[in-house]
Amino acid sequence: MKCLAATAFLVLSVSALAAPDKPKPLPSPVPAAQPTPSGQVSVTARSRALELAGAFANDGYKLRDGHWLSSLEPGKPIFLEVNLYAGNEYWFSGAAVPPARKVSVALFDEQGAPVASESYEDGPVAAAGIIAGTSGKYFVRVELTEGEKSDFCLLYSYK
Amino acid sequence: MASEPMTKDQIKGAIRVEAITIPTPGEFFSAIDKVSQPNWSQLYQPKPAGPTPSREQMSLRLGVLVAEGFIAVEARDGQGVKNTGKEIINLAKKLGVDQSIIGRGNSINDFAENNDWNTLREELEATQNEVKLAMAEQKDQSQIVLVTVGAWVRGLSVASRYMEANYTPALGALLRQPAIAEYLLAQLEGLPEAMKADPLVKEVRTGLETTLSLVQTPYGVPLSQESVKSLSSTMDSLVSAIAQGKKKP
Repeated sequence: MKCLAATAFLVLSVSALAAPDKPKPLPSPVPAAQPTPSGQVSVTARSRALELAGAFANDGYKLRDGHWLSSLEPGKPIFLEVNLYAGNEYWFSGAAVPPARKVSVALFDEQGAPVASESYEDGPVAAAGIIAGTSGKYFVRVELTEGEKSDFCLLYSYK
Repeated sequence: MASEPMTKDQIKGAIRVEAITIPTPGEFFSAIDKVSQPNWSQLYQPKPAGPTPSREQMSLRLGVLVAEGFIAVEARDGQGVKNTGKEIINLAKKLGVDQSIIGRGNSINDFAENNDWNTLREELEATQNEVKLAMAEQKDQSQIVLVTVGAWVRGLSVASRYMEANYTPALGALLRQPAIAEYLLAQLEGLPEAMKADPLVKEVRTGLETTLSLVQTPYGVPLSQESVKSLSSTMDSLVSAIAQGKKKP
């Protein structure tokens, strides 16, 4: 965990300075069928989530192209099921757009118990990082803790 | 760290979305590399492909090819990645979903040319996602799960074959993936009857049922060496069947 904490601090501190000089793949387009209130806002939420996750790429994390778009409402956390592999390190990055002011991301194991994880929160963007101890199912909780109903995007990276 | 455990209703009601819930072969291989040192070049052995009698079988094969791409990346085999990329585009043409991914084929070549392995992993997944998106736009959503199944089967096949010969409990633990098998079986169960009647889809469903029984160990318990051996045999049969294709009766 110390390693992940150091990663979070360093990566997020210097990400603005690290200009990528290699071509990167274009993310696949946002599917029109995804249940989001509005296309443009959803694209913005994804861009912000990609920006946050991109910071971890500087530390060797590989970004998943897959993502999840939805709406978050105050007091209504949403849980997503993910499948992780023991030994891999993961960062789950989420971003909302105004009128959201603050979001949180937290992780739970297969039995629903909270998992010790590193967290990063900066208003409408947040991330949670773990080294998976066991292979199998985990849950990611995303929650709007301040602000009004907003579009939200979650994606993750691993190494 | 979150403090309150999840309620039973929250666990039951958790959302499953393929793009987040199902890991890529690259994630699986990354975990294997942490506890062992496979010779990926030896493991990269694409099976010769036969005719593809149906769209369902083409979708399964497309998924297998995506996983082959990830294996070629692990093997640092640039030519292998390019060949696989070309086969993906050819199959996408046959499926009528190639328009959006022609550019991806060029990118795969460029990244392979530059040995940009990390970026290739992202590009392969993005290619797969664009194919799935095109399928969704063509109201061909039922095909999407077959692409995912093909990729997962090929990933498990190469991993279990390696683990069979190099078994350790740490490797066996990585094969414990019951939630993925359950999800994919549920998706196959939901396919239209005509698709479920495809002989290859039938065989894959039966194979996944066997797979579920093998990978469903208690929380934290690795698969035994015997189970890994059975899994390897099941997966190898499935990959061969997908490569060869099965004529409709």
